[in-house]
Amino acid sequence: MIFVAVGTQFPFDRLIRYVDEWAGNHAVAGFAQIAGGAYQPQHVRWERFMSTDAFNQHLQAASLIISHAGMGNIITALENRKPIIVMNRQHALGEHRNDHQLDGLEWMGKLPGVYTASTQEELYALLEQRHELQAASAAPGSRKQSLVDFIDQAIRA
Amino acid sequence: MSGKPKLLAISSPGGHWIQLTRLCKDLENRYNIVYAMPGDLFGTASTLKGKKVYSVTDVSADDKWRLIPCSLQVLYVLLRERPKAILSTGAAPGAVAIWLGSLLGIRTIWVDSIANVKQISRAGRLAQKRADIFLTQWEHLSNGQNILFKGAVL
Repeated sequence: MIFVAVGTQFPFDRLIRYVDEWAGNHAVAGFAQIAGGAYQPQHVRWERFMSTDAFNQHLQAASLIISHAGMGNIITALENRKPIIVMNRQHALGEHRNDHQLDGLEWMGKLPGVYTASTQEELYALLEQRHELQAASAAPGSRKQSLVDFIDQAIRA
Repeated sequence: MSGKPKLLAISSPGGHWIQLTRLCKDLENRYNIVYAMPGDLFGTASTLKGKKVYSVTDVSADDKWRLIPCSLQVLYVLLRERPKAILSTGAAPGAVAIWLGSLLGIRTIWVDSIANVKQISRAGRLAQKRADIFLTQWEHLSNGQNILFKGAVL
């Protein structure tokens, strides 16, 4: 099962279409959260929006997450130890107000368990090798805990 | 009234806010946390998912005049709440809070956004002049002296 989610702010028809067509051609089951998108998936089940609980259920049932380059979905995927592919929205295609999601790919791709694609070709190349995509070996909690503990000590110092 | 020390946590909406609230989630049991975030209306604190959140005027490099209302509003929050410390993940309004806080003798902590992987953010460089503790979330940006790496939200 693959789970593709594009956040709640904008549609991201291009990504939904890529994933839907790929799933159809490869007979892979999937679920899509498409927000206000005009493209309605033909091969995977879909919802426009879903509750946090429903979202987490779909995410946990999936072996691979595909998302717009948004921090929220990355955090949720990493916390659930799922590999995630992120693709940036493009300002030139009217998909976002600016191109900050392209800048985001640069740091997101340095995180363990996060893979980045900025084109259909890159996305499909990652999907072809989906069984090799690894989730982060450690939950992100340990890096956060050391940062929080340091902040706590710094305040009390 | 709780005996926990008060912390003002301030950041811009979006990714900055996600990072700030993730850090604060683990600090909630140790501090009485008051939040501030740029929003539509300045006014008394409202409640967002159980958090006390002040709304302040947003400011960026493109509209520097907003520094004036933003600074006055942050000053109001600081004088009203009298926090022991200020924590910010950016951007500009957080830097304003760091400057004003340091003038008032409040302990100030800046955590540069994880999105700044190539260099410290512009607001971060401003905050760096005044922050007591300045943290990056990327090890390669630390210099081990006044820019420290101690972990990351992810």
